[in-house]
Amino acid sequence: MPRLLVMVGTDLLRHLRNLSALMYAVVVPLALIYVMNLLIGSVDELEINPVTVAVAVPEGDELAAVLPQVLEAAGEGLDLTVRAAPAEEVVGLVDDGSAGVGVVVPEGFGADLVAGAGPQVQVTLADGLGLEGTVVTSIVDGALADLTAGTRTAAAAATLGVPPTELPGIARSLQETTAPVTWREGEAADEQLTLSENIVAGQAGMFLFFTVGFGVLALVEEREQGTLRRLLSMPVRPWTVVAAKALGSFVLGLLSMGVLLTVSSLLFDGVELGSPVAVGVLVVLMVAAATSLTFVVATVARTAEQANIAQSIIAIALGMFGGAFFQLNLSGPLGALLLANPVTAFVRGLGITAGGGGVGDLGVPALVLLGFTAVCLLAAWLLPGRKELL
Amino acid sequence: MNLSVTGEPEALRSGRGEGANVAEKVLGAQGLVKRFGPVTAVDGVSFEIAAGETFGLLGPNGAGKTTTISMVAGLLVPDAGSVTVAGVPMGGSSVEAKRHIGLVPQDLAIYPDLSARANLEYFGRLQGLRGSTLRQRTAEVLELIGLADRAKEPSKKFSGGMKRRLNIGVGLLHRPTLLILDEPTVGVDPQSRNSILESIEALSVEGMAVLYTTHYMEEAERLCDRIAIIDDGRLQAEGTRDQLIELTGGVDTIRLTGSGSLDAGAAAVEQMPAVRRVVRDHGTLVLTVSNAPTAIAPIVNAATGAGLSLADVEISRPDLESVFLHLTGKALRD
Repeated sequence: MPRLLVMVGTDLLRHLRNLSALMYAVVVPLALIYVMNLLIGSVDELEINPVTVAVAVPEGDELAAVLPQVLEAAGEGLDLTVRAAPAEEVVGLVDDGSAGVGVVVPEGFGADLVAGAGPQVQVTLADGLGLEGTVVTSIVDGALADLTAGTRTAAAAATLGVPPTELPGIARSLQETTAPVTWREGEAADEQLTLSENIVAGQAGMFLFFTVGFGVLALVEEREQGTLRRLLSMPVRPWTVVAAKALGSFVLGLLSMGVLLTVSSLLFDGVELGSPVAVGVLVVLMVAAATSLTFVVATVARTAEQANIAQSIIAIALGMFGGAFFQLNLSGPLGALLLANPVTAFVRGLGITAGGGGVGDLGVPALVLLGFTAVCLLAAWLLPGRKELL
Repeated sequence: MNLSVTGEPEALRSGRGEGANVAEKVLGAQGLVKRFGPVTAVDGVSFEIAAGETFGLLGPNGAGKTTTISMVAGLLVPDAGSVTVAGVPMGGSSVEAKRHIGLVPQDLAIYPDLSARANLEYFGRLQGLRGSTLRQRTAEVLELIGLADRAKEPSKKFSGGMKRRLNIGVGLLHRPTLLILDEPTVGVDPQSRNSILESIEALSVEGMAVLYTTHYMEEAERLCDRIAIIDDGRLQAEGTRDQLIELTGGVDTIRLTGSGSLDAGAAAVEQMPAVRRVVRDHGTLVLTVSNAPTAIAPIVNAATGAGLSLADVEISRPDLESVFLHLTGKALRD
């Protein structure tokens, strides 16, 4: 045991002195998380700027008159000003910047609608108008859809004997009195991660594979530089050397994860990962999974360069499919395969803890991580390269 | 062909030099065999080393020296045969046997990012040294290898010779019963090489058994009490330098270097009664002859008469090179 600790201690000191381990373990992932949070933050903080909508409505058209009213009603919450204008001036107002959006309702709109002729409403957006244009277009689109539905209802009433003079009134009253369908943001009991949390979890999971590589993959490097030969001639059992490298990887992984998750929670808004105990259990399982994978790489790789390249490819692939950069939703066999990805399992597990789940709720992600670890260790044991490694 | 000239190592009988007490056997290698696929790298190698004795394994590259010492050091498991160190059987997991050995691998086996002191202390701890013993041994070894004043510098800043010395120092730190040196002077400048050889000479005086592999004949002659000549994975002969030279029958070596028809020259001289063997070594004919001083004139005449235009003629008395040539029919550097 003392010799094992001597090896682990010296290895860790060497890795910490070697800045590349620190870079991969903490600095680079934190920097990436920071940059990606900036991007996400800019999306989260998007605001709709005040916008003027110039609307031209034919005089005496009851149905067309609904449109400015809908826009004005929406304007209360969106800082939207509705300005009536003659049809021939609307485009000019948009061009000279007096209005951001121009809406022209054609003559005979109401009658055409009742007749089912499909009148066209012209919407003009100012150059460079951003989200505001999309919002106004959506409101107009929605109002027109409602009017169309109302007139069809009225048409149905006409077939039942309602006088034609009352049909526009029916259509209009339907538009005004129908209670709108509303929605509210809900929260599931588990697997809830904000975009920021998702990126923190994915990046931490991905960079963990680089970090643990400094331990086990050092076996390949030491074999190359000859120190492994010397270590094996010392009064230590071969498994002690392997265990020391594995333990070194594990400790490095835990340190890296601990720092990343703690610092992310402190530095970035909206990162709340939940119960520290449950997160801790998840981190231990994830580090074990990542460490076990490095044994497979160390067994297969002939040189340290090969091992590092393979480890990088695996880390990036698992990270990408696990949501380190964006969330990926796949179904079918690919989706099932995605669920076997340890980074996916880790992110899902953190989703559970962030949603208030405890250790007992980690079932599937924990099983995936344990299964991944077992499969990797078995593969490393069975692969022919194991005997050549030592 | 094993032409061992001694049934028992001389040092086992007499220690180092005449009149010494009987020394204990430190290493016993019996019938070692190692195969890599279809290739038999080591084939039935046996030898013993006594305390205070320096034993050399002399052979060209690829002869099986490193494979042999890998089995002795427990790095390779023999396909057949056995190794005992200080009476303890050696195997891959033989912690007890490994306590007695210090291995100096052919390749530098030190951590370049660690200082000389840190390297020594790390490997010393793995050997079980602690506290004041570790500090004292580290200081002694740093002094011995001439790196005391550079102890704090990372070894990557050292010259090739300094790294080699540190490589050896790590093997010495725990005062092993058996020090195994695998071609420790390869790629070392003459000054560092001499320093390394002096250090090794001092070790055997202190009673350490040394197993030394080399393909440099001069090193084997200078350092080793007994020498085993190994080629193609087999021990061709074993004994003291003088015993080995006796195997040649006291013959001398004549080297004829020149241009023209080497084959015709060889054909002409190998018919002569004094010539026992002729070997072509690149642009040189290497002749094994009896009594070179009297045979040289007719040999030169025959060679030149056959069309060989001689540029250099060299006569040498028997040495390990001659022994190797005699035993294997090829030059040591082949």
